Amino acid sequence: MSDQLAAIDDALEAGAADHHDPLTRELQELALALRADAPEADPDFQRRLRGRVEAGFPKPASSRRPRWRRFTTPAFATGLVVLPLVLIAVVASGGGQSDQGDTGGGGGGSATLESGGGDAGPALETPDRALGKAGGLGTADRAASSAHGDVLPPDGGFAPGQRNRKIERSIGLELEMPVDQMARVAEQVTTVTNRHGGFVLSSSVSTGEESAGGDFELRIPSAGLRPALRDLAALADVRTQTQTGRDVTREHVTAKDRLQAARAERRSLLRRLELATTDEEAEAIRRRLDIVAGEINGLRSQLRGLRLRTDYAVVTVSLLPKDGDSGGGAGGSFDDALGDAGDLLVGVAGVIVRALAVGLPLGLIALLGWLVGRAVRRRQRESALA
Amino acid sequence: MDTSAARTYGVNEALVESVPLVAAAHSEGFAELYERTFPRVYAYVASLLRDRAAAEDVTSQAFERAYRKRRSYRPARGSTDAWLFGIARNAALDELRKRKRRAVLEVDPEDTASPTPEDHAELALRRETVRAALASLDAQERDLIALKFAGGLSNAEIARVLGMSESNAGTRLHRTITKLREACHE
Repeated sequence: MSDQLAAIDDALEAGAADHHDPLTRELQELALALRADAPEADPDFQRRLRGRVEAGFPKPASSRRPRWRRFTTPAFATGLVVLPLVLIAVVASGGGQSDQGDTGGGGGGSATLESGGGDAGPALETPDRALGKAGGLGTADRAASSAHGDVLPPDGGFAPGQRNRKIERSIGLELEMPVDQMARVAEQVTTVTNRHGGFVLSSSVSTGEESAGGDFELRIPSAGLRPALRDLAALADVRTQTQTGRDVTREHVTAKDRLQAARAERRSLLRRLELATTDEEAEAIRRRLDIVAGEINGLRSQLRGLRLRTDYAVVTVSLLPKDGDSGGGAGGSFDDALGDAGDLLVGVAGVIVRALAVGLPLGLIALLGWLVGRAVRRRQRESALA
Repeated sequence: MDTSAARTYGVNEALVESVPLVAAAHSEGFAELYERTFPRVYAYVASLLRDRAAAEDVTSQAFERAYRKRRSYRPARGSTDAWLFGIARNAALDELRKRKRRAVLEVDPEDTASPTPEDHAELALRRETVRAALASLDAQERDLIALKFAGGLSNAEIARVLGMSESNAGTRLHRTITKLREACHE
């Protein structure tokens, strides 16, 4: 086959069929005949087209596309659709917020607190990226001291497969602010606490220049802890945050079971008391009933205490004066500037990553669509020969 | 039939090399490309369309498209001839689809080069035989024949235009020529 094809090419080049094999020579003659029978162009047409080629295919003024028509191209239309989607996605992501109810108040960096490595649960992300607005928050400062590892579970459950877990939570926040803002922040701590259904157990605030500071011990409902912490963290720069958690489900279940058992025993004792036939027997049952009643009271109290500790998280807020800050002026140390620059870079990188997260899939879809479109167009063209 | 230098088969490759591909990006380079390829592009398009007026339109369109897209040409993707014939083929197929000319192509091939009185009887007879045999091929086979003998493309260039391997193009070409030869004997 390849010999015959080569012979055909030879004949086309030489313009003669001279192969020794009759069959191949016949193919050569056929090839020459086919080439000789190829249509020829009208010389006038060739000359006219040459003129257009040399002129660079000028378009007649009437057929020139109006400038505004450029905006009706498929590429422009695609951009018109995709760009707003990307912008919406970036804006919706809040320039660094997560879907856990962040306010995204500042630098945009996440403040994942590391748990202490305990076995009670996995390290969990802090609920509040607003904590990241603590400009100079170092890694060491961020590392939370967690006695039990389990800190703040994400919404919807903290131990897969187990429901109604009882967790005691304890949060410590150190807020840093200029001295002249301390009174306002102290007031807002109380306001935020009340707004989230909590209460201030104790507080002490000093606004003197030398000993400015404040401490609050708050009780905040566990159900609203996340937004409450977010709002508290938004009041000032967070210097440190510590979170601890302790799973008391076992204690709770044990106390509950014991309470049920004690109640059952009391009912049984009461029935036996009704049926007692002798005074001695009745007296013994009453003594036992007294003991059981004491147990029931103790267990109720224990359960109430447990419930209080798990339904309300202990939040300790410390207000600290900001070193070398006289009130938020435009100036600042080199370290502050460096920190701000770092935050800015992190923020920009975050936006870029989010834009890519949206843009890449859309780009892939567009590419896929383009490839499919091209294949369809090709198939349609080829169908003209089918 | 003019078999000018433009159709000096086997020399095409050398010509392609002599025309720097980058030069196609400039009007002068494109003019050279036009001079070198016009007769073959027209012959191919006319073979496909079998309509002189339509062939002129499509040839004109093909060169204009090539001129406007000349910066998109990438040497790594094949020779300028393959690139240009790809554009011409697409334009011709678009025309075929647009004008629904397929039926015309199959049943009413135009006699674009009728034998003149000066033609010898034997030549005229052979031409008629070949045309009749061509009419027995399907459209894709005629496309292949047109690319090879009217367009003067090498097998590698044909493969490039049709989007297949060179060996596949060679096999199909051989099969088609053999079929054409048999049709000439019927």
